Formats: sequence, C-alpha cells, structure tokens
Amino acid sequence: MSALLTVTSLTKRFGSQPVLLNVSLELGSGQVLAVLGRSGGGKTTLLKILAGLEAPDDGQLYLLGQDLRPLPPNERQVVYLYQEPLLFPHLSVFENVAFGLRIRRVPEPEVQAQVTAMLAELDLLDHARKAPHQLSGGQRQRVAFGRALIIRPRLLLLDEPFGNLDAQTRADMQQLFLHVSRQHQISSIFVTHDSREALTVGSRFAYLEAGQLTSFAARADFVQDPRTGITSELAFWRSVEAQR
Amino acid sequence: MRSRLLPALLGLLLALPFVLLGLLALAEQWRWPAALPPAYSLTAVRSLLGATDNDLLAGLGRSLLLAGTVAVLATGGGLAVARALARSTRSARWEAASYLPYALPPVLLATLIQPFIIRLHLSGSGVGVLLGLLLVALPYATLLLRSFWTPQVAEYESLARTLGCTSAQAFRRVLLPLAWPRLRTALFQTFLLAWFDFGLTNVLSVGKVRTLTVQVFAYVGEANSQLAAVASLLLLLPPALLLWLNRPALLRRPE
Repeated sequence: MSALLTVTSLTKRFGSQPVLLNVSLELGSGQVLAVLGRSGGGKTTLLKILAGLEAPDDGQLYLLGQDLRPLPPNERQVVYLYQEPLLFPHLSVFENVAFGLRIRRVPEPEVQAQVTAMLAELDLLDHARKAPHQLSGGQRQRVAFGRALIIRPRLLLLDEPFGNLDAQTRADMQQLFLHVSRQHQISSIFVTHDSREALTVGSRFAYLEAGQLTSFAARADFVQDPRTGITSELAFWRSVEAQR
Repeated sequence: MRSRLLPALLGLLLALPFVLLGLLALAEQWRWPAALPPAYSLTAVRSLLGATDNDLLAGLGRSLLLAGTVAVLATGGGLAVARALARSTRSARWEAASYLPYALPPVLLATLIQPFIIRLHLSGSGVGVLLGLLLVALPYATLLLRSFWTPQVAEYESLARTLGCTSAQAFRRVLLPLAWPRLRTALFQTFLLAWFDFGLTNVLSVGKVRTLTVQVFAYVGEANSQLAAVASLLLLLPPALLLWLNRPALLRRPE
C-alpha cells in the first residue's frame, strides 16, 4: 500500500531547545497512527507542523505525494482537533458543523443536507439549534468531530481529544471515533498519553519521547516496549488477580 | 421597609444630577432661597437650539465626529496593538509601558506634544486634536483589549485556519465575533473619553475646534448656568443613548 503521509527527518528547535529530532513516519490511507508519549515530548509540535501551524527547521512532509511545506494551513485539508472542542460560541451547533462548508461557499441546499446527515450520524439532530454552552462535554466533542469530518479532511490530527472527559464518556467517544473513522475512511494521527486509549483507537503505533519517534511494526512490539508501560500495567493487574 | 428605602435613596442619589440639570435648563428666575423654580419655560432651550447660526448644534456635530473617529481608530488600533503585545516575548514590559500616558494629566500631555502638533501644521485643527486624543485613547483601548488575546483565542484561530479559513476569514468569522463584547466596551469607553475631554482639546485646538464640551465650559465660565445646563443636556444625549444601546451587556448577570 502506498503511503498517504510520508514524514522524513523532521527536525524542530525552539531556540536552542530541540523539540523534534529526525522524526520519520509513514501512514497509509484509512489508518490511525496512535502516538503515545508524555507531556513535553514533542507530540503537539509534530501535529502543529503537519497542520501547517508551525514551520519545521528541517525535513520533508508529503501528503499523497504533494509537498506540504509551501502550503498554508487552509490549503492542506488537514484538520487539527484540540483537547478542548473549541466550538465557536457565537454559532449554533448546526452552524458550527456547517462552518467549513460555508467557508468553501457550498450551495445552501447542499449545506442543509450534509449538515443534517452529519448531525443524524452523530446523534445530535435534536441539538441542532442549541448553543455550544447548552451541550455536555461529550456532545461538544461530537460536534467538533462533525465540524472536522464534514469537510472530508485528507488527514485528521487529534491532540488528546478526550483528555477532559470522564471515563465512561471517554470510552464512548473512542468507540464513536473508531466508527466514524471506518465509515468515512479517515486517516488520522491520534496523540495520547494513555496506553489503553492508544491500543483502542490505533491501527498503527508509535512512541514519542524527548523529540524522538519510535514506530512499531506490530501491535505486539508496541505492547512489549517497556517505555509504553503496558507490560508493567499488565503485571500489576495479574498480581491483583493472583491475590484474590 | 429598609430593603426598599436603600434602593430608593441610591436611585435618588444617582438621578439627582440629571434632575437638577433639567430644572436648571427650564427654570426661570430661580433664586435663593427657593427650593424649586417659581416658573418654567423653554426660552433658553429655544434660544440655543433655534438660533440661525447654531454654534451649539455645530459643536454637537463636531464632538460626534471627533469622538466617533477616536473610538473607531483607538479600538481597531488597540485590538491590533494588544495582539502584538500578546505575541511579544516581553509582553509584560510593553503592557506596563501602556500605562505611561496616564502618568500625565491630559492637559500636560497636550502641552508637551503641542510643539510637534505646531510643526506638523495641525495646531488648531480637528486632526491635531484627533492625534492628541488618540495618544490617550489608544493605550486605554490596548489595555482593555489585552485580556482578549489568550492562548485559547490563538487556538480558535489555528483551528479556523485548519478548517479552511484564510487569515482574513479567520479574523472576520471567528476572532471578531469572539472579541465583539470587549470591542463594544472599548468603543463605548474611548468614545466617552474623547467626548468629555476638555483640557487636551482646548490646548491643542487653541480655541478653534469648539466641541460641545468646550462650549459647556465656556458657558460655565460666563456664569450662565441656564445655557450651561441646556448645553450639558445635549452633551448627555449621546452617552445616554450609548448606555441604553449597551444595556443588555451592562445588565447581564455573570454566569
């Protein structure tokens, strides 16, 4: 399978502080790359460079064979989702989802049809006329998804999107993300510091620490790597089980 | 009983200057020790507003134009400067420097910049007064709008860019609506700052730009309290209108 995204030798420094060091990765169409790492490891900078919000110092970025570096963020068709849903407070739920279509001057009947279908898919049709502050945390995150998905992004970048949700809502959102990713054949990079979340949403896996990215050929390799902490957590639960 | 008395007293205290102004404008032969005017008439109002060479209405127009221009330029400029401050590596120092114009009274500031205004051949002109007022209003708007440029607003802007907005579209469709409540306050307050200014305007205009406030002071100087009261009522109209238009924001309860 030819790669959708190819990143080669990406380097970024803030002053004398290196943030990304020779980061290389490949992502195929429809894949979800789960990037695990602690805070300050360079995860957000990597996503911002891919989105065009930061410029790399060195390295190559190709999306479907197109050099991304000269393209401004609005021409990349790469959407960056923050930890906060960041719904526009002056717009209703419907208009939040319609935002990208309105920017692209999509005809009104088409906007109505596409947004209605998206809201139905995300189970938000009853909330279409509500203001963002009238929604729960999970509902807001679903609206943020809808707003991103409706413009059919070539690549979706998720920066710990469920970090502020409670455990149950977080689990629901992970399942919803998997469902819509498959439904819309979305390729994405999903950054998280939660190994369980990485294993749930990812189809490919990487670990980013101190600006250095390790890609794993198989899920088992990711699980076995001691830096991910998965083996030690498994050992902990086994010891709990053994004490029963 | 006590719960009604206090708001009533407070209401009376707030309304008293306006009531007195109205009485002064309409009073005839109101002399000590009468508590209220013995007679009322619209003579002073008619003589001021109905005059053929109506200096007062011309002053009102000049004041509206000057204060409106100051409000728009200071608010627009303040938003841009506040953004530059937020992005600066030494934002705290620049923010502190924005308070410097307030270390000087406006009259002194006007006296200090007067030589430059003369060299620019702007002395006694509306543009000269406008520049002087902007020196006070722009830092004020900057300080007022500095709190808008939070990291979250930068995230909103970045998100809008990745959703397909150009920089201009992100500003118009996202940043401007987000900033609107603060912009409205800045417009209102810089308008009032310019509208009620007397000292700076009087020095820089060298008596040639007769705004409504300058005219009110002239009537007060002539000890013509009735004409001063009529002119003051006119002076209160635009701020009262702005307060009325701004009432949803002013009466909004904190969430």
